[in-house]
Amino acid sequence: MLALDGLRVRAMVRRQYYVQRRSPQRWFDLFIWPMVDTVIWGSIGAYVAQQGGASGSATPYMLSGILLMHVVYQSNVSMATGFMDETWSRNLLNLMVSPLREIELLASLMLTSLVRLFIGLGAVALAAWALYAFDVTSAGPGLIPVVAVLMAVGWAISLVVIGLVLRYGSGAEILTWGILFIVIALSGAFYTTDALPAALRPLSEVLPSTHAFQAARTLLDGDPMPWGQLGIAAIGLVVCIPLAVAFLLRMLHLFRVRGYVTRYN
Amino acid sequence: MGQVLDARGLRKAYKRTTAVDGIDLTVAAGERVALLGPNGAGKTTTLLMLLGAILPDEGTVEVLGHPLPKERSEAMGGVGFAAGYLPLPERLKVREVLAVFANLYGIADPGAGISTALERFRIAHLADAMATELSSGQRTLVGIVKATLHRPQLLVLDEPTASLDPDVAEQVRVGVERQCDETGAALLVTSHNMTDVERICERVVFVAAGRVVADGTPDEVMRHFGRGNLEEVFLHLARPEER
Repeated sequence: MLALDGLRVRAMVRRQYYVQRRSPQRWFDLFIWPMVDTVIWGSIGAYVAQQGGASGSATPYMLSGILLMHVVYQSNVSMATGFMDETWSRNLLNLMVSPLREIELLASLMLTSLVRLFIGLGAVALAAWALYAFDVTSAGPGLIPVVAVLMAVGWAISLVVIGLVLRYGSGAEILTWGILFIVIALSGAFYTTDALPAALRPLSEVLPSTHAFQAARTLLDGDPMPWGQLGIAAIGLVVCIPLAVAFLLRMLHLFRVRGYVTRYN
Repeated sequence: MGQVLDARGLRKAYKRTTAVDGIDLTVAAGERVALLGPNGAGKTTTLLMLLGAILPDEGTVEVLGHPLPKERSEAMGGVGFAAGYLPLPERLKVREVLAVFANLYGIADPGAGISTALERFRIAHLADAMATELSSGQRTLVGIVKATLHRPQLLVLDEPTASLDPDVAEQVRVGVERQCDETGAALLVTSHNMTDVERICERVVFVAAGRVVADGTPDEVMRHFGRGNLEEVFLHLARPEER
């Protein structure tokens, strides 16, 4: 049931490649938006540091925050919009009556989002280095598991969004960005979660991304990898990802039972 | 002759209406069957259940010996589907669309097959056109090429000649007939064009209000309703108040 056919996965990756190549606006997400973010948050950090309102770590905190936020952003948006391409071009029925399995479509979307993630992260890292002399590699290889956790969070969000689009149609597409920014705000990408209103902190604590961002800040301070934080994040993922998959499967079942595919005919 | 499609007791109800109300349908290998009926009769819902895109409330579907939905992927590997109303994916050239779908159907190197298939439908000149720049007739033809690349054992066409001019409709008919002749594929087609049906199909299944009301050769069905041609049968079924 879970067997993947490499040829079918490759076909769907190629389809995404054609769409990316012929959609100039898609490059905005990959290059322009990450650079704009870098300038905004890097400059805020620099301004705060100039005012003496914070230690000299404000800029690195902001820049590492934006870099890691883009891990969640790219993995989520790439995967969700990759699926939505099929709804926008009303290609969903063509795919549903082909031998393509759902798991193969998801695998192709994940592979595509990985490539986009590396391009987007490269853009942020390059801009941070060129404009603010911030070297992301200074945090060391400990950043790799942090990135992995955040990538998985982005994918989990996109599974929920795809489920919502299947259930509620194109009106739910806005949630691709809506849910993402709620998670980012609650996760303390740019601040410690102490800064959040007390009522929101319990919510923040249960998000794996909160612990990943916290681990990244610890690494930036030159401290050793906080394995405890990373462990909590991993446990969070073990809970979140099966829940997201179960939600998607339930929505897909409803999609077939209620004949929602006719929305895209 | 073995059966490529075997559907029993299909039933599907939506909130306000019962779309399909106990349809049985079988298609034998190599057989050409038309599923006919007025708008809203339940044809498309039936087709989509036969293809696994919609789950029936009741009933079973077996395609090429594979039960749905459990073995949907295996079943669909031997089925080709095209619909007159379906667009092609955006931002891809015709050849790219066909290559992507050929890969989905297990053809690793589809180049030569794509050229042959485009020739069969006399649209080889469209290979490098963007899919979204095609006319509706050209799009329909490319859709049918997409559905036949992998030489399916069962070809399912939903309204393939709807809104096509007579010349393109003829191209579709000839191409489909040639495809079925050469590959021995069975055909299940819905259409409102009774000329197409009489010419291509050896069996017609009429549905009305979600039920099969006639099933046989065109002659048998015409005799059953006491009408001179399928068009008259169609009008008779589409206007229940005149019955």
